[in-house]
Amino acid sequence: MRHVELLTEAEVRRTHEASLEVLEKVGILAHFAPAREVFRKHGCTVDDETGLVRFPADVVEKYRTMAPPSFTFRGRDPQHDRTIPDCGPIVVTGSSAPNVVDPVTGVERRATSTDIANIAHLINELPGFDVFSISTLADDAPEGQFSLSRFYPALKNCLKPVRSNTPNMDDLRDVIELGELIAGGKEAYAERPIINHHYCPMVSPLTMDVDSTEAVMWLTERGLPVYTTVVPNAGLTSPMTLMGTLVVGNAEFLAITVFQQMVREGTPIIYAGLPTVADMRTGAYAPGAIETGMLLAAQAQLARFYGVPSGGYIGLTNAHTNDAQSGFETGMNTVLGVSAGATLLNMGGLFSSLMAFDFSKAVVDNEIALMDKRVYRGLEFSEENLELEEIAAAGPGGSYMGRKHTKARMKTTAVLPRLADRDMRQQWEDAGRPVIHDRALAEARRILAQPNPAVWDDALDARIREHFAGLVAGDATPLEG
Amino acid sequence: MADGDHFEKLKQSIVDQDEDAVLAAVNAALAEGVDAKAVIDQGLLPGLNVIGEQFEAEEIFLPELMQSALAFQAAMVILEPKIKESGTEGPKKGKIVLGTVKGDLHSIGKNILKLLYETSGFEVWDLGIDVDLFQFVDKAKEVDADIIAMSALLTTTLVGQKDVIEALIDQGNRDRFKVIVGGGATTKEWADTIGADGWAGSAYEAVTLSTTLVS
Repeated sequence: MRHVELLTEAEVRRTHEASLEVLEKVGILAHFAPAREVFRKHGCTVDDETGLVRFPADVVEKYRTMAPPSFTFRGRDPQHDRTIPDCGPIVVTGSSAPNVVDPVTGVERRATSTDIANIAHLINELPGFDVFSISTLADDAPEGQFSLSRFYPALKNCLKPVRSNTPNMDDLRDVIELGELIAGGKEAYAERPIINHHYCPMVSPLTMDVDSTEAVMWLTERGLPVYTTVVPNAGLTSPMTLMGTLVVGNAEFLAITVFQQMVREGTPIIYAGLPTVADMRTGAYAPGAIETGMLLAAQAQLARFYGVPSGGYIGLTNAHTNDAQSGFETGMNTVLGVSAGATLLNMGGLFSSLMAFDFSKAVVDNEIALMDKRVYRGLEFSEENLELEEIAAAGPGGSYMGRKHTKARMKTTAVLPRLADRDMRQQWEDAGRPVIHDRALAEARRILAQPNPAVWDDALDARIREHFAGLVAGDATPLEG
Repeated sequence: MADGDHFEKLKQSIVDQDEDAVLAAVNAALAEGVDAKAVIDQGLLPGLNVIGEQFEAEEIFLPELMQSALAFQAAMVILEPKIKESGTEGPKKGKIVLGTVKGDLHSIGKNILKLLYETSGFEVWDLGIDVDLFQFVDKAKEVDADIIAMSALLTTTLVGQKDVIEALIDQGNRDRFKVIVGGGATTKEWADTIGADGWAGSAYEAVTLSTTLVS
């Protein structure tokens, strides 16, 4: 398929050059001293007093070309491993919301480890999702187990790749120990590291933090899978033009990419973004804005220029319920992303600008994801698909409905949505005018009422629980009510 | 020019969000012997009131509000030493200890709030970003703050706000300070859960909230 391209080739090249100029003249503020050492050792100019790092263009060019063209997410079951761009687009849930909309009361509340277990079960079953980025925090986490209380229920209930972050190094080490226990040892884990790490070490504009930078460096040194997201916000942390925002985000992407290659050459990365436009009326954060999709589309184009996979947080919504706003923000932005060739869509299940997970929203997003994947497949042009023989055989005035050719393709040519209503109005009236939110919630309930085949065996669970005393239960439960 | 004309010019230049005009008007007024405190109280602040009303009525956007506040701040660089010299310094509205919590390096929203606080007559101790819980508590005690205001943009660092409140309770100092929270990762419900005295969804609301809390 030809990708939608918002920039010409010359414009892409100029955007790249402009980003090099920013890195050389303006530089990056790097707060983590060992990161500054890495930059210094590899040819950047470092001012330790201010923390400012400047990048000669040839240094950026040298290291950015070391980034390989693909990135692999691994799950507990290798059947669910996904490599982008080859398997793309892969659809990932939105992550780290503090709250959940209670599926029984409909009221937003703090999320718990049990919610994470339920969400993991749901995502494991929904075919549109490829990667489970742990959707919420766990308010019931015991002291010192902030991250274990998220990763344990997530991994226990989902065979697909699990992705998330950790707030500090102790948590990161715990989470990797958990991964090693699941894999059956350090060596087995090194072979197939099933925890997929993600951080935002770049704080716009043009700043690298301490904690996430340390985690990224540590993981990169060990060859463990980790990628990062850049998040420029036009009018607030980047210029109030889409191109200026693209340049800031691109400079940040280059800085962190070059950093990872300096730490370990050939480290797989993703050009991942969450570029937004602040609402200038109030300063409000607007990840559901259509400009997010436009910017992500442009980032996909830049990623092709750099020869690396791309994607990011797209299809997030500012809406607070499954209404038209939720649908158009998720739908329009993701379709723009996949049309432009983005192969990672961090889109599922969150309302209120990443603040709350909602079970029915995840089910609706599953359906949007299936449509996005259909768009990415494209029209599938081929001589055979022109169907000249079939057109001649049916003839003028003929019907295609009863034909073998149609029957053979009826389940694969078009998406068959489970939620989108295609009945006549009277049928909808007779059914009591159901809205999509209710249909989606019913589907979530149906799935969660089934036993979860993804849960690991008791022996492994006992080993894990013995290793980490006081761990949360981490079991999915049917949604009541 | 009569004092009244100076005040009108000062007010209008703030409403016009024009820093150069504000500074010119301030210098002209001072040159003709208008009292520095009157320049603020009768010229600049009435202008900021108009801007505040326009912002609340959604007639102007946040960058416009910011431009007026920045112009006011630039004027204060000239006016503050003169007020101190003459000893006509009025009481501040309240003392604020402000910062972004531990692990979080997001500063822009916090800096907007700092600016709005200062233009609204609060005295602010800005501890910056990545602020440890004891830095908040110790500074608040040191300056005898009225309010501790904490920002968090990352959901994973949110808990830093709760830690400060718990530390205040442990030390028996919870009633000594009002604590308010805000930032992208926060909600009113979160503020209620951790026992904060208030939550604001924007910098502008935070100033209104703080004004209520200290009055």
